[in-house]
Amino acid sequence: MTELLLTPLQYEYMLKAIAVSGLIGGVCAFLSCFITLKGWSLMGDALSHSVVPGVALAYACGWPFAAGAFGTGLLAAVGMGFVKTKTRLREDAVIGVVFTAFFALGLLLISLNPSSVDLRTIVFGNILGISDPDIVQVAVISGVTLAVLGLKWRDLLLFCFDPNQARALGLNVTLLHFTLLTLLSATAVAALQTVGACLVVAMLVTPGATAYLLTDRFGRMIGLATAMGVGTSLVGAYASYYFDGSTGGCIVTLQSLLFVLALVFAPKHGIRAARHRRRAASAPQP
Amino acid sequence: MNDPAPITLEVDDVTVSYPNGNVALQAASFRLAGGAICALVGVNGSGKSTLFKAIMGFVRPARGAVRIGGRPVAEALKRNLVAYVPQAEEVDWSFPVSVWDVVMMGRYGYMNFLRIPRAADRRIVEESLARVGMLEFRERQIGELSGGQKKRVFLARALAQRSRVILLDEPFTGVDVKTEAAIIELLRALRAEGHLMLVSTHNLGSVPEFCDQVVLVNRTVLAAGATDTVFTESNLARAFGGVLRHFRFDESTVQKHDGRAVTLLTDDERPLVFGKDGHLEYRERAGRERVIEQRAEREDDH
Amino acid sequence: MSPLLEPFRYGFMVDAMIVGTAVGAVCAVLSCYLVLKGWSLMGDAVSHAVLPGIVIAYAVGLPLALGAFLSGLFCAVATGYIKANSRVKEDTVMGVVFTGLFAFGLVLFTKIKSDLHLDHILFGNILGLEPGDLRDTLMVAGVTLTLVLALRRDLLLYCFDPEQARAAGLNTAFLYYLLLSLLAVTIVVSLKAVGIILVIAMLVTPGCIAYLLTDRFGRMLWIATGAAVLSSLGGVYASFFLNASTGACIVLLQAGIFLVTLGFAPKHGLWARMRRAGRLSGGQRPGKEKPQFRRA
Repeated sequence: MTELLLTPLQYEYMLKAIAVSGLIGGVCAFLSCFITLKGWSLMGDALSHSVVPGVALAYACGWPFAAGAFGTGLLAAVGMGFVKTKTRLREDAVIGVVFTAFFALGLLLISLNPSSVDLRTIVFGNILGISDPDIVQVAVISGVTLAVLGLKWRDLLLFCFDPNQARALGLNVTLLHFTLLTLLSATAVAALQTVGACLVVAMLVTPGATAYLLTDRFGRMIGLATAMGVGTSLVGAYASYYFDGSTGGCIVTLQSLLFVLALVFAPKHGIRAARHRRRAASAPQP
Repeated sequence: MNDPAPITLEVDDVTVSYPNGNVALQAASFRLAGGAICALVGVNGSGKSTLFKAIMGFVRPARGAVRIGGRPVAEALKRNLVAYVPQAEEVDWSFPVSVWDVVMMGRYGYMNFLRIPRAADRRIVEESLARVGMLEFRERQIGELSGGQKKRVFLARALAQRSRVILLDEPFTGVDVKTEAAIIELLRALRAEGHLMLVSTHNLGSVPEFCDQVVLVNRTVLAAGATDTVFTESNLARAFGGVLRHFRFDESTVQKHDGRAVTLLTDDERPLVFGKDGHLEYRERAGRERVIEQRAEREDDH
Repeated sequence: MSPLLEPFRYGFMVDAMIVGTAVGAVCAVLSCYLVLKGWSLMGDAVSHAVLPGIVIAYAVGLPLALGAFLSGLFCAVATGYIKANSRVKEDTVMGVVFTGLFAFGLVLFTKIKSDLHLDHILFGNILGLEPGDLRDTLMVAGVTLTLVLALRRDLLLYCFDPEQARAAGLNTAFLYYLLLSLLAVTIVVSLKAVGIILVIAMLVTPGCIAYLLTDRFGRMLWIATGAAVLSSLGGVYASFFLNASTGACIVLLQAGIFLVTLGFAPKHGLWARMRRAGRLSGGQRPGKEKPQFRRA
């Protein structure tokens, strides 16, 4: 039994995959606390789809994939911001139009030039087959993201909570806005490797949402989210050995299970706790 | 339409709690009969909008019941007994509908399954628009109107619905003084026709002027009844706690007609002025002559 | 024969154009409601969430469309329930629920051996339609379209002002679930043509195009449908010559029309806005009407 459970750990590619997933899971989870509080969840989804044409282009031209992905991701973010401020369309509609257009462009590029990159790699990730240069790129992205978040998290928190106050304090709000967008694009690119374009948003939302149900303190929220992100990514990558390489599916399914548990059983904000409170409230007063 | 029995609205022991366990309204009770204009007064978060939602059947009370014309809410809505004039902030003004379309929406409850308007519906919509003076704007998209015109379109919709109970949510915010006077005039005309209007407002100064009934709310119904008896300084103090600004005039021109005990309450809107025996400021004194006379007599006795 | 007419010689191309037109029209009509209701990304969520339903339906031998429909609807209902019963924001809830379902679908897919093609589910396979597909798509699209158009006034009121819908005695809970069900059905119908990712574009872009061009709902429906049908026909046709992904071509054409509209729409386009801004700063101000009521 033990032998069977240890099999995956005998392969070097499994160890690499588990380690890299854990790193990405942690970084994404850290960022997810800001994203969920800012209400940018679907922005994460949109950016992760928008990087696809960049990846296709980068592979076709032999550039580092991260450069291309990052480029189109930011272009999409700026495009959404522009259309939103200049028209009467709702934000969600703008997001929908822009990211699907980018994704379609990526699809078109890949279908025109099918040999350069496998569509499945982009859509589902391929952490088990990650190449060493790609690992370096992911490590650099994670390092920079963690450094920026570690140094500026107080500013970013204030920006998410009360942008006007941030402005009043003399902080550069536009810079903070673009910092957060850039970090989001960067982590979306990194997470693309592990879970693929469709599931990146889960890594960038679910840990933060779960932690938000469990605590009222931002510091604790970051700790909990990061722990869950790292834990689920390690276990999910390990388990994917038994699931035919669907690493993204395993990691995100685990994260969703944790969310459901928190949703029902969270001590203060869970459904059970609320039900108890409601029953107490609607009982006739003595 | 010409139902001889006056329309009634009964809120009986209604408790509403939200899924997160917060109680928005506890054991609220009051009863109103048409024609009347009733002010619903309370601070933000006091449960005014929850009460509206309960009357509209949007939230189900955990205890108690609302009855309109003696019927449960769902049945009353089916019979088009209730119309609703929303707050301007709740409406999406860039929605692609014209003034005519919006007022026609008031007739849906009378139309068939496919909501195809008949000649009678068109006539009623036209009448309603004419009554608020908006007929010439019928082809405008709703976002192209001024604040007062927007409000009048939604009043026309309530008229087109021919409902006997009309709920108005903050009808005077963002409206100029002339439109305010015009709306009040319209509400008085509707009262004379036997309608029952429930107006949520934080504009305390205008309440005694056009409302004959008041319901004071703060997580429950604190007091309900005729304006002259319910709209008192002590009741308002209970409803608003320390929220209202509170001035005492020991030296003021007002002392001439009410001694030295004058209190002014205001919620950043028109001020509400209280004397020893009740509110003082009536822009329209018609029907109030006796109250004013009585006070003058008592003043003489002193 | 002219080379430009060559695509029409192939039966599969003609079929693809018919299906593309039908799917485009249904999605466009629905997109007008979604854009106005603020549900654009509900399409995103529901479309991803159909995956586990398809796999489970395959495993237990039910029609795939039924499984897809039920799991899409489950996603929408679960999102509503969690939003009402927790303090997490709606967009976050949506992100959590649909990715959870999609991930679950992927894991199931790897565990259940099937002859389903994941690529076809994700990106559509409009050029490889099977004999019954044309008939099924036309039938479901026809029923959906009839239903939406028959109830278009109720749905419009529900999107515009649910309180009034309720005051007029309409059953708003019914309309809510009806709109969700129509969305789920439309996504299921469109799967074969464009797949679950690009159907989101079909469900958002035409409505946005039309919303920029008109202030009347009736016209909005026609413009959206026109833009979508044009894109579907043009996209299928272009993909024949480019030898490229058909779904991508359709969506990119829609995006192109959107860009042109964004720039040059007569009233709400960027060009018109810039000109208006220039003229207004020139010193003119709109007049004011005096309010006047008339006694009945």
